[in-house]
Formats: sequence, C-alpha cells, structure tokens
Amino acid sequence: MSKNLINAMADLNEDVVLEEVKALKAQNVPALDIIASLQEGMSIVGKRFEEKEYFLSELIMSAEIFNEASKLIGGAADGEAASRYGTFVMGTIYDDIHDIGKNIVTTVMGSNGFNVIDLGVDVPTEKYIDAIKEYKPKVIGISCLLTTAFDNIKECIQTIEKEGLRKDLKILIGGGPVDEATCRYVGADHVCKNAQETVEYSKKYMGV
Amino acid sequence: MPNQELFNTRVNRIMTAATLGKPDQIPVVLTADAFCAKHMGVKLADFIKDYNFGAEIMLKSFLDLGGVDGVQCLVPAAMEINNSWLSRYKLPGRELGDDELWQVNELEVMHPEDYDDVIKKGYNRFCNDIVIQRLGGTGAEMEPMLSAAPAAAQNAIEAGIVPFVGGVSTIPYETFCGGRTMAKFMQDLFKIPDKVQEAMDASMPDIIGDAKGMVAMAKPLSVWVGGWRTASQFLSRKLWERFVWPYFKMLTEAFIDEGVIPTLHLDADWERDLNYLLELPKGKFIFSPDGATDMYKAKEILDGHACFMGDVPPAMLALGTVDGVYNYSRKLISDFGPSGYILSQGCCIPPNAKVENVKAMIAAATGK
Repeated sequence: MSKNLINAMADLNEDVVLEEVKALKAQNVPALDIIASLQEGMSIVGKRFEEKEYFLSELIMSAEIFNEASKLIGGAADGEAASRYGTFVMGTIYDDIHDIGKNIVTTVMGSNGFNVIDLGVDVPTEKYIDAIKEYKPKVIGISCLLTTAFDNIKECIQTIEKEGLRKDLKILIGGGPVDEATCRYVGADHVCKNAQETVEYSKKYMGV
Repeated sequence: MPNQELFNTRVNRIMTAATLGKPDQIPVVLTADAFCAKHMGVKLADFIKDYNFGAEIMLKSFLDLGGVDGVQCLVPAAMEINNSWLSRYKLPGRELGDDELWQVNELEVMHPEDYDDVIKKGYNRFCNDIVIQRLGGTGAEMEPMLSAAPAAAQNAIEAGIVPFVGGVSTIPYETFCGGRTMAKFMQDLFKIPDKVQEAMDASMPDIIGDAKGMVAMAKPLSVWVGGWRTASQFLSRKLWERFVWPYFKMLTEAFIDEGVIPTLHLDADWERDLNYLLELPKGKFIFSPDGATDMYKAKEILDGHACFMGDVPPAMLALGTVDGVYNYSRKLISDFGPSGYILSQGCCIPPNAKVENVKAMIAAATGK
C-alpha cells in the first residue's frame, strides 16, 4: 500500500491524492492495489468522523476525492470487482422523493468498499424485492424523511419477510424523523443516524 | 373569557415566557399546516389550492384542538421555502396524488459559476432569475400565500389565538445549498471557499433589507430564522464558523434590532455549537430545536439566556401513545419551566400525527 496515498486520502488532500494515483498508475501498480490504499484512507476518514474530528462535510468531500481518483484508474473502484465487503442495496421508500440522505449514504458506502445498488427515490416494495433476489445483499437500507412514509417502510419490511427474504438480511433505516421507536414500529434491524454508522454496522455484520 | 381578553392574556403569556419571565401558565405555540387539513378531513390538494381556504381550515383545527395560545404559521406553507431553497416542489393535485404531502424535489439548478452572478447582480435579482429561468416559475408564486396572511392573522386574533410568528428568513448557506444540492455545495466549501464566501457576503444586504421590510410591513411578534441544513452535525466547526455563524448572527441581530424576538427554528443537531448562541443578547431570542438537539445539554449552556421552545418529536406525535406524549410534555414543562419556556412540537406537527396525541401535548400545559 502507498502510505502517501493513504495519508493524503485521510487528510482530504485532493491534489496529492490525484498526483499519487497518477504516479502509481505510471508505475504499473495494479488498480486494485491503488483502490486498497484509497479505501484504507477512507477507513481513517471514518475513524475521524467517529471521533468527531470530521463531520458530514468531510465525509462528502472524501467520497468526492475517492470518486475523482477512481476515474483516473478507469472507474475501477466502482462495482463488484473493487468491493471488498459485498453488495448494499438502498432506496428511499415509496411516496417519499427525498434523496439527500440516501445519496450521501450510497456515496459513502461506495467509497468504503461496498458494491452499492442505488434504487433511487419513491421506490415501491416490488423493486426492493427484485433487488434482494437479484443481488442477494446482506444489508439493505431504506430511507425516508416523511413520517407519513413510516407505514410504507413497515409494509415493505413485512413483504420482504413474507417472501422469505429476511433470513440473513439486515434491514437498516434512516432519515430525519427516524428514531428507535420508528425502528421498532416498522420492524427494521437498526436505525442509522448517519452514513458512517451505516458503514460501521454493515462492516461489523459482514464480519470485517 | 371574551376573545379579545383571551387574546391579550395569551399574548402576555407568550411574551412573558419569550423574555424569560414566568407566565400564568406554560404557553402552547404550535406549528402545523398539513396536519390541520388531515385533522379537518380536507384533501391536501384542496387545502393548498386556495390559501384563504387553507387558512380557514388551519384556524378551525387549532380551535378544535383547544388551548392553543399561539401559532407559528397561519397559511399552508407548501411554497414558503421554495425560493429560500431554490428548489422545485412536487405538489398534491399537480405532480402528486390529491392527498399526498408536498415535497421538495432537489435538483441542481445552480452551478459553481453562478456565485459570480450573485456577486454581480445581488441576491434578490439572482434568486428571482433562477426561479424564472430554471425553476419555471414566475417569481410571483408566493403572492397568493402572502396576500392571504393578513386576513388569516386577523381571523386568528378575533378567535383569541396569537399569530406569533409572522415571517421566515434564512441565511445564504440554506439558499445556495438548496440550489447546488447538499453534496455539491459542501464540495464548493472545500474547493472554492473564497468565492462562496464572497457570494454570501454579497447576499446579506438584500437579505437584511428584506428582513427589515418584512418587520415593517407585518409587525410580527416573532419571525423564524431558519436553520435546516446548517446544523453543527453537518459541518466541521471550521466550516460552520466561517459559512454559517457570522451570517446567522447578523440576521438574528438584525431582527432583534427591529424589536422582534426571533425564533431560531433549528432542525437537526446543533449541540456542538450551542455556546455561540450566548453571543446573542440575553432574553431576546427563542431557541427552538426539532428534537434532534439534546434539550438538556442545551439547557446547561443556554438556561437563563434564551427562551426554550419545543421539542415533542414529530415521530412521537405520529407513532406514540397519549400517555407517552403527555408524560414527555409534562417532563419538559417540569424541567424547563416555569420561566422562559414555551411548549411546542419539534419542527412541525406531521400530517399523520394522531389528534389525540396533539391534544395530550396541549393538555400537559393547560391541565385540561
């Protein structure tokens, strides 16, 4: 791994990250090795977030730098090949079109070693079911900003159960008004208060 | 009690609490709009079609709840923050079903080069141009709402209810964040910070001018200074100190200078930076978190400096029980009263709040 790259990524030093990636590429370092360094840097970003040295602004910026670096190596950091921890499916539940929180979580998960399937907003239950069947994720995320969408999440989770897809699957929920009581009400496994918590919970569940 | 007398009693009750005094009882000041439509059995599309009708429904709802001393909005707020956030809205009966709640449809309508436009044109002209050219508006979307407000306020007064908050204002961060989208705007703060700051500085004269104009026209007791995406939880302190607090302080102080008690309507978690609120004059503003900021930690810092308002969580009003809401509200009254406290929901009463839960919250203050 490249110490320079890891540190520059952790310090959100975009110019150095991009220069270092170009240099490593020129030295024929395999793309997956470069990605591993970037992801190591992202792990430090996550740690700093947990220690309240970094905040959402830094998480977003780190994901942006990661994505820019990824472009330099032909987008090799996207998709299943680069994902160390498996697939994460996420969407905003139907009747709710808010996407800020969902986009932040998918971006941060993507730059932390997960293969992210973003279902978008206003997502019907069938779309979650189809995605679970197709991608077989161990963790999915359902987002909402409206309290009026709580019943929709509940219905979605019940349907996932009825379809026999809940075994070994953890369902995370998140969004402005969502709390522990909401989590119990809708029957989710865990409520994530921020993107980094989603990363940490998912890693832990996947035994990382 | 005749309504005029009731109104006077309630104004006195609210203002006593707002200025850190001990009122005859804890005042109840609510924010609700879509909830009122649901409460009165009116479809949301009809509710926002005619703002005068919407205001009537809201007043009926407040009167049916009983014990509401004051309110923070008098007309449906479907379009209220449209311009503040430079965002499109999806509305019931238009893009949505007749009874679905209006929602912000966040798209990137502002680009990095637009900061130069703000600096060149000024904030108001820039926003107006964006609304017309990129949001497909006319710039007059707010007119029906604004013109319905005076009659709605008069009707509330005649019914004995205090129209406590008479306007909304916010800082450039909120506007640019809405126009750019949250993720892109945060990247701007790292990549082109000087340019963003210059645009923010260039925006303030218009924002302050509008704030003063609003006070002169509506003569409100309070106004909202809105902090929706500016909470400490979203930004490192370095960024918050540079891009949020100076502007937030400037705007709040401008309202205080005009003799208004601003209600700091603060969504999400502001805990880290609460000590900055001590820079605002004592007893001249209301701290109104949405349930995400720990009120008890806030009390450790702001007790005796600002009136507290809140914070029965919207999710509790929707999912909780009557006993749960009542006990939570009683605890707030016991811990934050009897001086300098106003009982209210966090943020806004959600449309699917149970009516009996809202009544239980009010009963905690009125004892009825």
